[in-house]
Amino acid sequence: MTNTSRFLTWRRAAALAALATMTTACEMTVTNPGPIQDDALNVASAVPAIVNGMSGNLSLALGGITLRTGLASGELTAAGNFADEGFYYAGTFTGLNANTDWANMQRARWTSESGIERMKTVLGTGFEGHADTPRAYLYAGFANRILGENVCTGVIDGGPAQSDSVYFQRADSLFTRAHALATARANTSVANAALAGRASIRAWLGNWTGAVADAALVPNTFVFNAIYGIGTSRENLYLAEQTITRREVTVWGTYWASIYKDPRFPWDTVKTGSTLTKGQDGKTIFFRQTKYKDLGAAVPLVKGAEMLVLRAEAALRGGDIPGMTALLNTARTLYAGLTPLTAPATTAAAWTMLQNERGAVTWLEGRRLWDQRRWFAAGTSTFLNGRNKCIPISDNEYAANPNLRK
Amino acid sequence: MWNRAWHSIRWCLSLLTLSAAATAGAQQGTGTITGTVMERGAERPIEAAQVTVVGTRLGAAVNAQGAFTIRGVPLGAQKVRAQFIGFEPVEQTVNVTAAGAKVTFTMTRAAFALSGVVVTATGEEKRRAVGTAMATMDTMSIARSAATNPQQLLAAASTGVSILANSGQPGAGATMRLRGVNSVSQGNNPLIYIDGVRVFNGNGPVATGGGQQSSPLNDISPDDIDHIEIVKGPSATTLYGTEASGGVIQIFTKQGRSGAAQWSANISTGFNRQGHVGSKDDETGMWFNKCRGPLNVNGNGVKFEDPSCPASGSWLSDGPVQRFSINVRGGTQGGTTYYVGGNWDDEKGTLPRSAAHNRGLRVNLGFAPAKGLTLAVNSSLAQNASQGFADGNSAGGAALNISRGTNSNYKGTGCSDATVTCVNNADLFRSDVLNTTYHFITGATLTYQPVEGFTNRLAFGYDNNNAEVNYVVPFANLRLPLGAMWQTLCHRQMITADLASTYRRSISETWSTSTSVGAQVFDSRLYSTSLETDNFSGPGYPTLISGSTRLINDVNSQRVINAGFFGQEMIGWRDILFITAGLRIDGNSAFGKSFGLQSYPKISASYVISDESFWPRQWVPSLKLRAAVGSSGKAPGAFDAVRTWDPVAAENGKPAFAPNQLGNADLGPERSTETEWGFDLTALDNRITLAFTHFDQQTKDALIPVIQAPSLGFSSSQLTNVGTLENSGNEVTLSGEIVRRDNVKLSAKIGMTTLSSNAVDVGGQTLTIFTNGRTYVQAGYPVPSYMGKRVTNPDAYATPIYETFGYVGSVFATRTYNPSLTLQLFKRYTIEALGEWQLGGHNLNAAGYQNANLRVWRPCFAAQAALVKAAAGDSSALGAFTAMERARCTITSSERDYALWVEKADFFKLRSITATIDLPTKYLPGSRNASLTISGRNLFTKTDYTGFDPESADKTDNTFGRRDYYTFGPYKTFLVSLRVGF
Repeated sequence: MTNTSRFLTWRRAAALAALATMTTACEMTVTNPGPIQDDALNVASAVPAIVNGMSGNLSLALGGITLRTGLASGELTAAGNFADEGFYYAGTFTGLNANTDWANMQRARWTSESGIERMKTVLGTGFEGHADTPRAYLYAGFANRILGENVCTGVIDGGPAQSDSVYFQRADSLFTRAHALATARANTSVANAALAGRASIRAWLGNWTGAVADAALVPNTFVFNAIYGIGTSRENLYLAEQTITRREVTVWGTYWASIYKDPRFPWDTVKTGSTLTKGQDGKTIFFRQTKYKDLGAAVPLVKGAEMLVLRAEAALRGGDIPGMTALLNTARTLYAGLTPLTAPATTAAAWTMLQNERGAVTWLEGRRLWDQRRWFAAGTSTFLNGRNKCIPISDNEYAANPNLRK
Repeated sequence: MWNRAWHSIRWCLSLLTLSAAATAGAQQGTGTITGTVMERGAERPIEAAQVTVVGTRLGAAVNAQGAFTIRGVPLGAQKVRAQFIGFEPVEQTVNVTAAGAKVTFTMTRAAFALSGVVVTATGEEKRRAVGTAMATMDTMSIARSAATNPQQLLAAASTGVSILANSGQPGAGATMRLRGVNSVSQGNNPLIYIDGVRVFNGNGPVATGGGQQSSPLNDISPDDIDHIEIVKGPSATTLYGTEASGGVIQIFTKQGRSGAAQWSANISTGFNRQGHVGSKDDETGMWFNKCRGPLNVNGNGVKFEDPSCPASGSWLSDGPVQRFSINVRGGTQGGTTYYVGGNWDDEKGTLPRSAAHNRGLRVNLGFAPAKGLTLAVNSSLAQNASQGFADGNSAGGAALNISRGTNSNYKGTGCSDATVTCVNNADLFRSDVLNTTYHFITGATLTYQPVEGFTNRLAFGYDNNNAEVNYVVPFANLRLPLGAMWQTLCHRQMITADLASTYRRSISETWSTSTSVGAQVFDSRLYSTSLETDNFSGPGYPTLISGSTRLINDVNSQRVINAGFFGQEMIGWRDILFITAGLRIDGNSAFGKSFGLQSYPKISASYVISDESFWPRQWVPSLKLRAAVGSSGKAPGAFDAVRTWDPVAAENGKPAFAPNQLGNADLGPERSTETEWGFDLTALDNRITLAFTHFDQQTKDALIPVIQAPSLGFSSSQLTNVGTLENSGNEVTLSGEIVRRDNVKLSAKIGMTTLSSNAVDVGGQTLTIFTNGRTYVQAGYPVPSYMGKRVTNPDAYATPIYETFGYVGSVFATRTYNPSLTLQLFKRYTIEALGEWQLGGHNLNAAGYQNANLRVWRPCFAAQAALVKAAAGDSSALGAFTAMERARCTITSSERDYALWVEKADFFKLRSITATIDLPTKYLPGSRNASLTISGRNLFTKTDYTGFDPESADKTDNTFGRRDYYTFGPYKTFLVSLRVGF
């Protein structure tokens, strides 16, 4: 073979290499049909699922808060192996063990608020009249309420630190919009939920008059739930998982364990043979909460009974102990087997009664830590003495948010 | 597209036609060359050595007696070459007449062979021209190894290679690293090539509850492996392109060879044995070694009984091992060759019902249809099935429940004493972790050499791996009374097209060049589903529709294409100095939209200074100096570049969206650049060999999972090219013949590796790799590091003083020493021992952390009793306990921390001992050769680590960090093997 023919052969090989490269270059599209690209959500047909997502993220956030602030506020006792739960039970909140709940609560808020903005763009003039719009505002309101009731500091969308009351102020506006739009569409359930939600946060903002006005409009038997399910693990109620599938927390050792068979905070014992079963830690007696009996059990976000207790607290704040007692007794009539209470003789006793009744009505609904916190601040409860009062900004937020400095 | 393909086919056909014509015209008078090939010193035949007639395709393999025959050799003077991996090649010129010719070769064993060849991305290259360190495991060392899979073969086999066994589950894969860690997020597994075909280099799916993954690499039977080449750093792997910065492992399986059929069979039998589990301070071995007796009591004095404990009083028992393999190879003088091998392996683990069953078939065919044209078609099919127990972070896990004594989740009945805690841990072994894989690999490599020096290689490969992983908790399980079942189906495909052409020529007597170009396409596909069913109606072995609840937990379907091409030019000067420069350009479908093609350059030099006239060869017969600089990269994941949402269910089954990841349109691959230099020398009449390599790697644009502010909605981390990592080290291999006499030959070898990694810049963050594993990446510390709460006065007999968050230690070992010794007696008996020290690494003993809290960690019993007394007011009770003991054994929940249980994972393991006797063939009529080998693996472990095993890690936790979360450790294996060739 001559040098020329060698060169020609070499050229052919090089050409083939280039050809192969060009051939491959024409098909370089990655395929991954699972996750959905952001742009795909910018259509009207995606709106119901966007709003369902708001609900799902709210439930996810509430599920964790229900368990961990239940431990922090005396509703539950740690009985397992999870380190973070041990810290919450001990009343020690850190930026590290706040990571999960902070992220879940912020995700619930952000998906609702950003979802509303997306819906405005996608639906245009049809936004306000869309069937899902009131729900979107309602979920955004509750997401802000959960943050306001549980965290120490307000942080919005990567911004600087501000007062935690910012969440209540945003919730007030969002509940108001939800109520107006739901009323316009005759969506009674969402309208009542918005009223009840607004009643609570108006109270927390110090507007007890406004709170009582809203609360009085909510039917006594009304309940609006955060929805869970057993279809996927993401929909499971975390508290139920940790008390049904596992035994990480127990009612044993709490005030609520001293009272048996109250329908508002039901629990039972579990035995292996004749021996009381211990928690997952093998040490702590396991009393199982039975308020949530399966992993798909719903958790009330607002309910008429709570509105009655809210009004009762307003009455007590006004010095009306009989009025408080009457409202509490009205709430008790909503549960089978409860007998009326007698009006306490002193204000201190009245506060004790009020706090126990509110605790019973909202037991394991993720509300108790906030109640303890505000009562501690007002000097009517000492439970949080020496303990952390609220969830701090998470370590991950500090690490990634340039507007925050420790 | 079709026109282009047709053009290619026509081109190939025309080449074939031309080549066939050339072959036909080349017939003339021929003769036969016969001869022998023996090993110098040992005077043993070198079976399977290749003898070729230089400049032709004529050749033969050496048989067990050391003889070979090459027929059809053109008459006249012919240069004949004998070569075999691990030996210096030799050449002789013989005059071939019609009566034939005879030649005798004596080959010298060498740790590195300057004249040998290695396979690189461009094809075969002379080892002396390669400017980087490459390690080779040759046929003989593989044959004598006690390893039962490729990962065991690689363990302690070479410097810079780290294999951590992870688990004592039969079939569990190991963690492999070449030269440590150079990526935080993209994995550090080396690329795997089998006979030139790239295969999936990750691990199989993890069974829910199983804790371990299988490794597809282990689907290759060691009996089918001819040799293995290990390419370690980015400077050597540049031309392999994106994803190659973790190194490359090339496995070459046995090929057919001209001549009559030669059969080989290997029959092995033996057993697996566990030994003592965990700390020597716990005489019960975490209640594995002793599950009944007076020590069945927790730290609070609560006794427990387990009536289901085996009659032996131990959960452990020897698991039988049986391995069978048979292969045949041969071929025609015309170039058609075949190798067919099959293996049938069964083994049981050391815990009830654990077992692995491996079946494999390999068919390697070779054709030489025309002069200069060869076609190799290599195919293998492996079916592996392992049955294990739940392990790791699983509520039904064996280690978790048995080591927890009173706190087992399997409370039961049948105890003799009603006052004790009654557990029935045997029930947990009724659950199955089943892992079944079907792995088919096929590849066709067409090599065309129209003229000497011009080689073209076109390879197509197809790697198809199906895995089915089930975790079945049956009905009436004590922990989950209604039962449950999880199933993961995983189907991976890798399609490879690889073209490389090299043109070598001598420009003058002094100068030579080698020009290479090539292109590759890798099409990687993954389809997987993760399914679950809960709450069975009743007994019976369930299926996915047996439960009242049926869940689809995950579905994954991805396709990623990586394509690129390279060019390389090597210039040689007097066959002493070689300068090589190359460039690889890659495109990857996972790159962000703003990213184009990526280019990776390299340059290397090799200088065989011992061939210079001034060199004192009497002292140092050979010395090669080498240096290289090169880049390689790792691609981000398939969908990391785009903002996505997850389709989820909400409001009890309604369709919904949840944020998935933020996306990053500028995402590109991380680039690792390595500078490597070193030398290879022999001294004292080639009795001493020394290889040294120093390397410095720097990974820029490291893909770091950057935490996003949760208040922005996307709380998951987003991969971003922000970081810089450094990784440097030294590799030294020293081997020598201590005794070289007729009947006694003693040789020793030690490999030493040091590694030093450092996070230079990780975007100003402390990256959380694994919170509960206390594993982080932080600037200024090794990658990754254990960090967290630490005791600043650990050895003081005082109250612990805590630092809230501090550096505890490197996750991976920083120093590795691999000593080995080979004793050969009377040319018939060979004893080999291989050990390994791994120092400087740590492991998180999470079982200790949890069990201490549960008061079932026996080494803490005394300290906890003292802490209880101290809490009651007797502070003197703690006088005998250090601050670290008090911290780890604390009885105050809020003082607990995983970081306090990060322990040094230094260990020495006797990886293997083998004793081989070459049996006289007269005892086995009809045999060509025979040997009997007695071997043991992991026979001895020396460590202060108190968890299950310093190598234990739960694969479900994290693939980058390591955590011994109730992970049952590796076992010992004893085998007797009979190999017969006939």
